[in-house]
Amino acid sequence: MDIITARDLTVGYGKTAILRGLGFAIPAGRITAVVGVSGSGKSTLLKTLAGLLPPLAGGFDFAGRAVDYRSEASLDFLYGKIGVLYQDGALLNGLTLYENVALPVRMHYPELPEAVVRDMVHAGLAQVEMADSAEKYPSELSGGMRKRGALARALVLDPEVVFCDEPSSGLDPITSHLLDDLLLRLKEGFKMTLVVVTHELRSIERVADRVLLLNDGGLRFAGEYSALLASPDEFVKTFFLRKDHHHDDA
Amino acid sequence: MSETVVLPKKFRAEEIVKVLADLHRLSGDGPVTLDFREVEEFDSSTLAFLGHITDCFPGVAAANVPEALAKAEAAFVRRPDGCWPEKPAVPPATGRTDRFLQGMSDRFLARLRVLGRFLAMFGDEVYHITHYLRRRKGVYPGEIWNQMFFMGYRSVPIVSLLIFLVGVTISITSVDQLKLFGADIYIADLVGLAMLRELVPLMTGVILSGKVGAAVTAELASMTVLEEVDALKTMGIVPEKFLMVPRLISITLVVPLLVAIADAVGIFGGIVVARFSFGMLPKAFLDQMLNSVDWTDFAWGLVKTVVFGWAVVVGAGFKGLTVGRSAEEVGRATTESVVLSVTMIIIIDCIFAFVLY
Repeated sequence: MDIITARDLTVGYGKTAILRGLGFAIPAGRITAVVGVSGSGKSTLLKTLAGLLPPLAGGFDFAGRAVDYRSEASLDFLYGKIGVLYQDGALLNGLTLYENVALPVRMHYPELPEAVVRDMVHAGLAQVEMADSAEKYPSELSGGMRKRGALARALVLDPEVVFCDEPSSGLDPITSHLLDDLLLRLKEGFKMTLVVVTHELRSIERVADRVLLLNDGGLRFAGEYSALLASPDEFVKTFFLRKDHHHDDA
Repeated sequence: MSETVVLPKKFRAEEIVKVLADLHRLSGDGPVTLDFREVEEFDSSTLAFLGHITDCFPGVAAANVPEALAKAEAAFVRRPDGCWPEKPAVPPATGRTDRFLQGMSDRFLARLRVLGRFLAMFGDEVYHITHYLRRRKGVYPGEIWNQMFFMGYRSVPIVSLLIFLVGVTISITSVDQLKLFGADIYIADLVGLAMLRELVPLMTGVILSGKVGAAVTAELASMTVLEEVDALKTMGIVPEKFLMVPRLISITLVVPLLVAIADAVGIFGGIVVARFSFGMLPKAFLDQMLNSVDWTDFAWGLVKTVVFGWAVVVGAGFKGLTVGRSAEEVGRATTESVVLSVTMIIIIDCIFAFVLY
C-alpha cells in the first residue's frame, strides 16, 4: 500500500519551479531514498511533502487523503502523522534534550501525567541510545548525538512516516553507519515508513528499498533499488556506479 | 594604416589591462594585429581575452598564436555569449519615467503587502492569546515566567538608570528658565506631567525596542535559519503561538511594573535636581506635583507603554519569523526590527497625543 502518492507535483520557491510534474508513490513500511546531485531539489521536495512548502502545481495524497495547504485541518492531519529529522537536528537550543523530546507530547497532550511523559521520553531516547544525555542541552551534544536526539523527538509520537533530510551529512562513517542501523531498526521493528533525502551512496545501498532519483527538474528514476542497478540509463549508472562521464545528461 | 602590437612574454591580467588601453586608442585608426609570438606565460585571463578579441574588438586580429596557447584556448570553457563591454550597458533613455514609476509602484505594493502580513500577524496573535487563555494549550509550560524574568527583571536596571538621567536632564534644562519667572517651584509640575504622560512611556518603549525587541528578533530569526521553526510546524505546533504568546503575555504583565518603577525614578531625578538646585524639599516637590497630576496621567502612561510593548514584540516577532535563510539576514532583521519598533512607537505616541490632549 502506498502512503504518499504524488500527482503532477511541481515544487519550488516563489514563482521559480525547481521540480516539475512529478508523479510517484511512496510505499508504506519501507525506506524510500530521495537522491540527486546538489541543487536537484531533494530538500525542496521533502519540505513540500512535510507540509512546509506549498506545491506550485499538482498535489499529493497522504494516507489516502489529498493534502490541502489552504486547509489548517488538512495540514494538522499531515503533521499528526509525520516526524521530520532535519539536517542539523533543529533541536530547540533553549531546552534540554529531555525537554526537546517531551515537547511534542506536552504540546499535544498537556493533560498527560508527567510520569507518562517521562516514560515516553525515556523510551524514545533509549531507542536512539541517548538516555544518558537526557539532561544535556543541544549545544553540549556532538553532531551525531544531536541528530539521534532529533530522531527521538521525531519518533516520540509514533508517526507513520519519518522524513530524514540528509541524516548522514557532516557525520563520520561510523556514526553515519549507526544512524543507518537505526533507520533499518525503525523499519523492521516498528514497520515505519521512512523517506530519506541523501546523496550518500553507501547509505542508499544499505538502507534504501526504493529510490526516487531527481535530475534536471524532474524525476529521472523511480523504482526498486535492485531495478536501479540494472537501469540502462547512463545518468543512473553514472550516479550510482560512479562511472566517468563527460556530459550532464545522457 | 595597419598597426601591429607585439605582446610581451608574460601576458596575464596585468598586461592585458595595459594592452586594452592601447587597443581602445588604436582601434579607431584602422586594423590592429595583436602578435602573440612571444607570449609564453599565460593564464585563464589570457584565454578569455584571446577568445573575445574578434567578438569585442572589430578590426582587431590575433596573429602567431603559439600552439600551447591555441590548444588551451580551444579547451577553455567560455560563457556562450557576450563580450566585455567597454562601459556598463546603459539602458535606453526612452521610457525612463515609466520605469521609475513602475519601480515606485512595485516598491509601494511590496511595502503594502508587508504591512498586510504584519497586520494579519497582529490579528493572529490576538486570536492565539485568546485561545491560549481559554484552553491553556500550545505554549511551553514555564516559558511565560522565563520571558517575564528576561523582559522585566533584566530590564529594571537599564530602564531605571536611563529614566533617572532623563528626569535629571529635563529638570536641569527647565529649572533655569523657570527661575527667570520666579516659577521654579513649578519644576515639580513639569517633571511630574512630562514623566507620567510622555517621557516614561516613550523612553521605556524605546529601551524595550533596543533590549527586548532586538533580542526577540535575533532569537526567532536564528531559530528560523536553523530550521527550528520548521521543526515546530511539523510537530503540529503553531510557531506564532508557541513563540509569541509567552512574550506578549510577559510584556503585558511586566510593563506596569516597569512603568511604576520608571515613574518613581524619573520623578526622583527631578527631586534630586530641585533639592540641590534651589533647596526644594522632597515633600514640597511631591505636594506641588500632586496638584497638577492625577491617576489618569499614570494610567494613560501605562496604557501607552503596554501598547508600545506590544508593538515592539509583534514587530520583533514579525521580523524574526519572516527572515530569509542566511545568517546575514539575522543581523539585518534585528536592525530592521529596532527601526520598525521605534518608528511604530513614535507614530502611536503621536496618535495618542491627538486623542488625549
